[in-house]
Formats: sequence, structure tokens, C-alpha cells
Amino acid sequence: MAPPRIPSAGPVASAGLSALRRRIAALEHRSPAFGVGATGIGLSGSWWFGVSALDAVLPGTGLAVDGLHEAAGGTVADGPTAAAFLAALLVRLAGGGRGNPVLVCQSRHGAARFGRVHGPGWRDLGLEPSDLLVLRAGRDRDVPWAIEEGLRCGALAAVLAEVEDLSFTASRRLSLAAREGATPALLVRHDGLGPASAACTRWRVSALPGDADPFDEDAPGLPRWRLELVRCRGGRPVTCNVEWKRETGDFRMVAALAD
Amino acid sequence: MKRVISVWLPRWPIDRLRRERTHRHAGKVHAAMVGAVNSPPFALIAPNRRGPVLQAVDRAAGAAGLRCGMRLADARALCAGLAVEPADPAADRRELERLARWCNRFAPCCAVDGDDGLLLDITGCAHLFGGEAALMGEITERFAGLGIEARTGLADTPGAARALARFGRKAFRPEGRMADPGKAGEAIADLPVEALGIAVEDAQLLRRLGLVTIGALDRLPRSALARRFPCRERGDGVLLRLDRALGRSAEPLMPVERPPVCMERLALPEPMTDRDGVDAVLARLMPGLIAALKRQGLGVRHLVFWCCRIDGGAVRCAVSTARATRDGDHLVRLFRETTGTVDPGFGIDCAALHAVRVEPLEPVQLPLTGDGHRSGDVNLLIDRLRARLGADAVCRLEPVDRHRPEKAERTAMPDRDTASPPWPDASDGPQRPFRLFDRPEPVDVVVEAPESPPRLFTWRGACRSVARAAGPERIEPEWWVDVSGGTVRDYYSIEDSEGRRYWLYRADRCSSGCREPSRWYVHGLYG
Repeated sequence: MAPPRIPSAGPVASAGLSALRRRIAALEHRSPAFGVGATGIGLSGSWWFGVSALDAVLPGTGLAVDGLHEAAGGTVADGPTAAAFLAALLVRLAGGGRGNPVLVCQSRHGAARFGRVHGPGWRDLGLEPSDLLVLRAGRDRDVPWAIEEGLRCGALAAVLAEVEDLSFTASRRLSLAAREGATPALLVRHDGLGPASAACTRWRVSALPGDADPFDEDAPGLPRWRLELVRCRGGRPVTCNVEWKRETGDFRMVAALAD
Repeated sequence: MKRVISVWLPRWPIDRLRRERTHRHAGKVHAAMVGAVNSPPFALIAPNRRGPVLQAVDRAAGAAGLRCGMRLADARALCAGLAVEPADPAADRRELERLARWCNRFAPCCAVDGDDGLLLDITGCAHLFGGEAALMGEITERFAGLGIEARTGLADTPGAARALARFGRKAFRPEGRMADPGKAGEAIADLPVEALGIAVEDAQLLRRLGLVTIGALDRLPRSALARRFPCRERGDGVLLRLDRALGRSAEPLMPVERPPVCMERLALPEPMTDRDGVDAVLARLMPGLIAALKRQGLGVRHLVFWCCRIDGGAVRCAVSTARATRDGDHLVRLFRETTGTVDPGFGIDCAALHAVRVEPLEPVQLPLTGDGHRSGDVNLLIDRLRARLGADAVCRLEPVDRHRPEKAERTAMPDRDTASPPWPDASDGPQRPFRLFDRPEPVDVVVEAPESPPRLFTWRGACRSVARAAGPERIEPEWWVDVSGGTVRDYYSIEDSEGRRYWLYRADRCSSGCREPSRWYVHGLYG
């Protein structure tokens, strides 16, 4: 899939456009940044995919480091895929190297449904298991509270959580807490992407059949995901297929398979 | 010098039962209420080899000549109108421990003493109540207010205090049941030998020898005394009791609650029935405790907040911290999770804050650039999460050198000071799933090929066809742990036709010669 093109405009119109962009960025309490970073964190405090098709539709500062990002599986069975996508995003953030712990929140119910966090596998994703702070809440309704505490604390690299149910008000609270603590919140929504949320970006993630391993034609190769950016504050929605290369911590764009 | 008060509750089982019934009927005068003013003589009985015997008697029954240990038939002959009920020693014991906790209002270290007594280590506490005599008076008065008959004795040792409480008489010494510091021996010298708390047969033997008082016993040469007993253990037991009472050998108290290193206490002028007041009291106690900790260079790890109710109950709230701290605001915030459930009942009239576990904490130089210490402390976050969600809600993962994947990691407390062992290198060996099921979920294999991954399997009600598979990775059972043999597992990482990835294994029993049909399980999920 080709990267979406920005309609061309004359020099006067483009100057007006960039002035408007700067003004909007100022309204959103962000410093305007220019250019798209080629690797993970180009500018300090910004967060990129390294995939031009995705980076082009994000706002000028990339993914918000102090924002709420939600992902849900395309179907219920894709819940773990959405969690893996957010973990991959975390690898790209942690590539900048804060070295602070990551709070992973699950309810006992969620752990029974989709499995608990497994340290060795977490390490294979590219994250250090010793940086993990695993929270297992007895009740589902304690999870949003724990996320908010983690975000406001300001000492964490990120909060990665699985929630069963989240109202708009609760998502707004979390979004404000993320802003206050300058900590990204990554939520896996097992209830699917509801009608409204205060998240900066909302993703729908589905697994796609991938290529074989280059050294073993029977073995699975790189995981391949279909990412639908359903909503992006300050950006545009987009759909694209990517592969996640865990050794280097890179996303790679792949062409959609012809049916 | 140590000072100990012994509280003797001569009619504890009956007082306990009476209090319980009064509570249940919430102040209503009830016909079945035991021990009311004009009620018949009352006793508690327990079964015995010789039939039911009396365990406890109330004042009216005592006046009628009934004694504990008497058979019920004999008691009925003496007093025809005797009302009896079965005794409940377990409930007596439980309530006595509760009462000991309530006694924390008088002293930080309170212990249960036998079936009908309490011991309070009041060293350094008496001045809070206006002196030792005033404290003893207050204890007796408070217990009387609770409807519990109590007698107190004060001495340097628990043994002497116990003897004075149970056997001391006002008439016998002008200062009553109080022994001055260092005068425990003189105070109990004229008490009978039974006051030492020795066995009945030992006391009888001593009386036969003409040794009636403790003083007479003490004047006798020790070796001569030990020889009088039929066996060495009994003689040594009596001498040990004597030494403990006279302070020659130590008698440690076993407090119901670990005594605090540092404490702060507040007696309220009026009983407080308002739950909001609990937080206010806590906020008032905290600065004093923090100041005391600061003077000693200590930080708190475990803090207990006690609320003593006027009806003889005590409410306990506790918080733990991941690292020693003297941050009063933080501690008050942690308590807010638990104080919300405090039930003031008829009113709280005394509260105390006990620092039970402390660690040295040196003053920290704050950074000059702003107040950087508030943000950026993960330990404060861990404390808050644990205060609300339970002590085991937050953990770190630690590797364990085991074969089985579910045992290859364990959860560790996040506040451990020692570094966790390093994780094994990720690059060698097959990839592991990032989600693991606590108990592997069985799958139905629809199309199976021998010694290879399944072609088609059903998991959670959906049929999945296998597109690609890597493996097997064989994980052998740990014969040095599991002696029964266990199962061999062959793990495959599998991608189905829709691109989802699973970690499947086939379990085979390895010991028996004949092969059982193998079973398949999903153990984890890849993204």
C-alpha cells in the first residue's frame, strides 16, 4: 500500500498551512516539531514507527509520549495480538532508553483468559523482564485505578494494561493522568474499541498469515499484523500491514496479500 | 528496671459470656441474660471422666459454697437452683486475645497469661496515666466498666506481679498489691507457695514439708529442696518458677502483637463515633511519630494504627512500605485505603500509632534543582498499589533454573534490596511466548500426524488449521524433583491459517513400556 499523499498546494497556501499547524500544536500544549524521524526516537520526546506510511499520518510530533494509546483485536481472539503490538511499540519507546520500570496491569480474570506475562517471552520481544513490574488485580475494576496511580507517579517508563471495560470518562481521566505524569499509557481493550474514548490513537490489530522463516520453510517467520489506525488526534486514520522484526526492533511495511 | 502489671480475671468465662449476650441483645434487658442481679447462681460446666464438672462459678454460686472442679451432681446437692451452661474454652481464649489487644491502650507490650490473665509491660508508661497507682486504678475501673471483674498486681517480674494479683491482700500490706521497684522478693515473701503458679501436687508436697510461704521456700538451700521431689524435673520446675518471680532468671513475655519500636498515642476526651474523625486522629498522631523516628535516624517499614473502642474492642489497620520512609503524607495516604472500613462502634476513645518494623534511614540531601524527590520514586507507587490491592498484587519476575517453563520464573517482592539473578541469554534457543497459561489448556487434535505437529486442532471451541510449525523442542521432566517420572513434553510453535501463533506441546508419559495416547495442550500465545 502506497503512503498517502498530502495534496500539493502553492507556496503561499503551504506557508499558511504550516502556520496553522503550529498554532494547533500550541493549542494542544505541544512544541511543534518538523520532519519525520527515520528511526525510533528522532527528536527528544517523540515516538515514531519508522514506517513512512504510518509516520506520515501521525501529528508532527509523532506518537504522544504523554498520551493514551488504545489497541483492540479485530476479533476477541486477536486480543493477544493487540497486546503484542503495544509491546512492540514499547520496544520502540524503550529503545530511547529511560531504564525505568514498566508497569504491566492485568486482572486475574484477564490472566486466566489470555495468559499471564511470561518473562522469557517478554525478553524475546526485546524488553528486559527485570524492568517489569507486574500487577495482578483481583477485580477488573481495580485495574483503571492502578493504571492511573502508575501514570501519575511519573517514575515509570510506561504503563501497559489490559482492561475489560472502560467508559469515556475513565479514558479521559487516564489521558489526563498520562499528561500529568508524562508517561505513556498503552491499553489493550478486550471489550473492543467502543464508540468514544479520549485516547490519542486507537488501533485495531489483527493477525495476518506471515511468510515462512528464511532458514526453515515449515517454520513461522516474522509476525505480521494488519494495523488499522481508527482514530488519531492531530493525524489521519490509515490502514497498513506490517511485520515486526524483534531482533532489530523495527516495523516493516508489507504489501497486502492478493485474494 | 522493668515494671509489669498482671491482670487477673477471676471469673473470665462467665464475664465473657455475659458480655457476649449483652452485646447480642444490644442493651435490651433479656430474660435469658445470665448473671443478672437477681438471677439464680450460675456456673459453666465441662465434661470430664467423672461426669460434668464445674469450670467457672459466678459470685452467687461462690457464695453458696460452689467451687471450680466440683462435680455437677455435688453442686446440685449443695445448691438446687443452680443454672448451668457448657463452657467454651476456645471462645474464651479468642476473646482474651482480643482483650489483650485492647490493653495496648495502656502499654505497648501486652501478653495473654494462662486462661484467665493478662500481663502488661508498663515500663516507662505509667507517667502517662499519672503514676503507677493511678494506672492500676484506671485498669481496674476500665475493666469494671466493661463488666469484667479484674484484680491487678504490679512488680518487677511477671511472676511476682502474677502472685500479687492472685494472692495479694489489701489487709496484708499497706501498699496493697503493688511491689516497689527492687522489692519484689519482700512483697511476695509472705504469700503462699501456690502463688508461684506451680502444679497442685507440687504445692501439696511443699505444704507437707512445712513450706507454706514463698519466703520459707526461698530461705531453704536449693540442693536440699530439689532432693525432696521424687523426680528432678519437678524440683527444677519449682525452682525456676521461684527464680523467675524473684528476678533471678528472665521470663520473657509473648506479646499478642509485636511491640513497637516507636509509638505515638492519643487519648480522646470524648469517645469518637464519627468515621471521618479517624483520619483526623491519624493525621494528628503522624507528625509526633515522624519526629521521634527522625531523632533516632530510623525509617518505618511496617506501621500499625490502633483504635481502641470503649466497648473493649480494638481495630487494627496496618500498612507496609517498600523502603524505609519518614514521609508522613505518604503514610497517611496509604492508611486511607484501610481506615475507611474502621467501625467506630459505640465510640473510639484511644488511638495509637505503632512503628513495628523500622530500618535505619539517613537524612537525604535533596537535589537543589527543584523538588525532584516527589516524582520518580517507584517505591511510593508500589506502597500505594499494595496498600489497596493486597501485599502480593505487585511483583517482579525472577528467573529460576528449572526445565519446566511454568517453573522457570517466579514472582518476587518488588522491594527486595538484593539484585535479582540475571535472565539467561535470549538469543540462543527457540523463541518463547510472551503469554503463558497458568494451567495448560487441553486441545483436541483433529488430524494428527505421527511425531509431528497436528494439522488441525480445536481450542476454545474453534477449529484451527496449522499453516506453519517449528519444533519440536523437547523438555524432559526433572527426575531429581519429580520422582514419579512425569511427562516428556514436545513443544511446537505454531502459526494457524489466520496468522495467530500458539505454543503447543504434546505430553507423553515416559516411564511405562506401553505407550499411552499422547495429549496436546496450548501452553502459551505469541503475539
